[in-house]
Amino acid sequence: MDFKENTFMYAIALCVVAFVTLQSVFFIVKSWKHAKELGIKKETLKNTVVSSILFTVAPAISILATVIVLANALGIVLPWIRLTVIGNLAYETTAAQTAVEAMGGTLTSSIADHQQFSTVAWAMTIGSVAPLLMLPFVCKKLQSKIGSAVNKNENAAKLGDAISAAAFIGIISAFIARAIAGTTSDGVGNAGFMSISVLIVAMVAMVILETICKKFNLEKLRPFTMPIAMFIGMGAAMLFEAVLPANITDFVWR
Amino acid sequence: MQKNYFDRVHRWGILWNIGALLMLLSIPVAISVYYNAWPELSVLWSVLSKLMLLYWVTAVIEVITYVPMLGAGGTYLSFVTGNITNLKLPVGLAAMENAKVRANTEEGEVISTIAIGVSSITTTIIIAVGVLAFSPVLPLITAEGSAFKPAFEWVLPALFGALGASYFAKHWKLVPLPVIVGVIVLIFSPTMGVGTLMFVTIVAAVLGAFGLYKAKKL
Repeated sequence: MDFKENTFMYAIALCVVAFVTLQSVFFIVKSWKHAKELGIKKETLKNTVVSSILFTVAPAISILATVIVLANALGIVLPWIRLTVIGNLAYETTAAQTAVEAMGGTLTSSIADHQQFSTVAWAMTIGSVAPLLMLPFVCKKLQSKIGSAVNKNENAAKLGDAISAAAFIGIISAFIARAIAGTTSDGVGNAGFMSISVLIVAMVAMVILETICKKFNLEKLRPFTMPIAMFIGMGAAMLFEAVLPANITDFVWR
Repeated sequence: MQKNYFDRVHRWGILWNIGALLMLLSIPVAISVYYNAWPELSVLWSVLSKLMLLYWVTAVIEVITYVPMLGAGGTYLSFVTGNITNLKLPVGLAAMENAKVRANTEEGEVISTIAIGVSSITTTIIIAVGVLAFSPVLPLITAEGSAFKPAFEWVLPALFGALGASYFAKHWKLVPLPVIVGVIVLIFSPTMGVGTLMFVTIVAAVLGAFGLYKAKKL
């Protein structure tokens, strides 16, 4: 049996899955109780749960795809562990690639040496722990400062609302700017016809869905408009690739 | 009341954070002990010096950027479970938007924490089931030439288009500046990671909002 996918490795993975699940359940239960104390309706909480699940499915499948890509070189278990804790798509691939290349290998061939495998595991772990070292010291300070600043008086609250809306828009703008003018190091997902048209389809779908909700008073549909618009955008990507000529869908300007 | 609840969340968060750190570091230790294979320090250092330069610096920016928006519980959960920009952050933002609550209030805090917790569990289940049951067939779905491939390749524009539309409709005055700044930055530095770019666009958006507020145009 491949040492990268033996019972020992699976046992580590299951411990990690258990830890992450326990932590999530812990915080959900505590928040749920406090939400009731605050008088938030059960309906609102249920909607939050269902729409969050819907919103998560597609991105989670892309994460799963990264696990499969890294499995070529590292076996399936280590990438699974790494993308379950802290891991993110861009980071894990870069970390694994840097480590494997430093030892003269590539991500396309399987690692057969125990020492190389443990080096990759160490590199992926240490490279990614910085936020966990910082949070215990800075999280509370940052949040209480912001909290007291925006809750000082009505004027400050109004400015605070504007600034937090602006910060959200700043985040979304980064992704929109990438769809307009970004490139990636591997050339997949460069700005071009597909990135812009999927972005626009998702936006238009969202506006139409919100209008429908408002016009027909469909309060029950409202929490699901965002995930549905996302799926429509993804469906459009499949449709464009299937029906449009390749020189249009492959057209990139970056 | 307000102070108490946030204080409690921070106390739980720090304990879980330390637990996660210990668990995480014990993984490579366990692998090295079990296979009796420790990395050569010079090789490990040459790899880490590159990675840490990139990712420890990004981590500082990420912590400053995300902490105010994810709420306390959401922050501790997100930084342990990862995939923040492409998953936890949009899920938390969407949930607060749907429930019509503000970030940095107790209502915002509980809603974003529930959303991020549910999202973490969902992701963990999908990856676990995918790895255990579907790893032989999954490559077919995401392989070159599969009809589903484009859907996953373009998941981020679809996600942020959907999320963006509802925000933009409400706060359209705040939109042009950060998008233009982001595009200009990308023209000069096309491969800039989205974590760093986000820092730039957030600063632009906040300065823009501040300017409009001062000019009483908001």
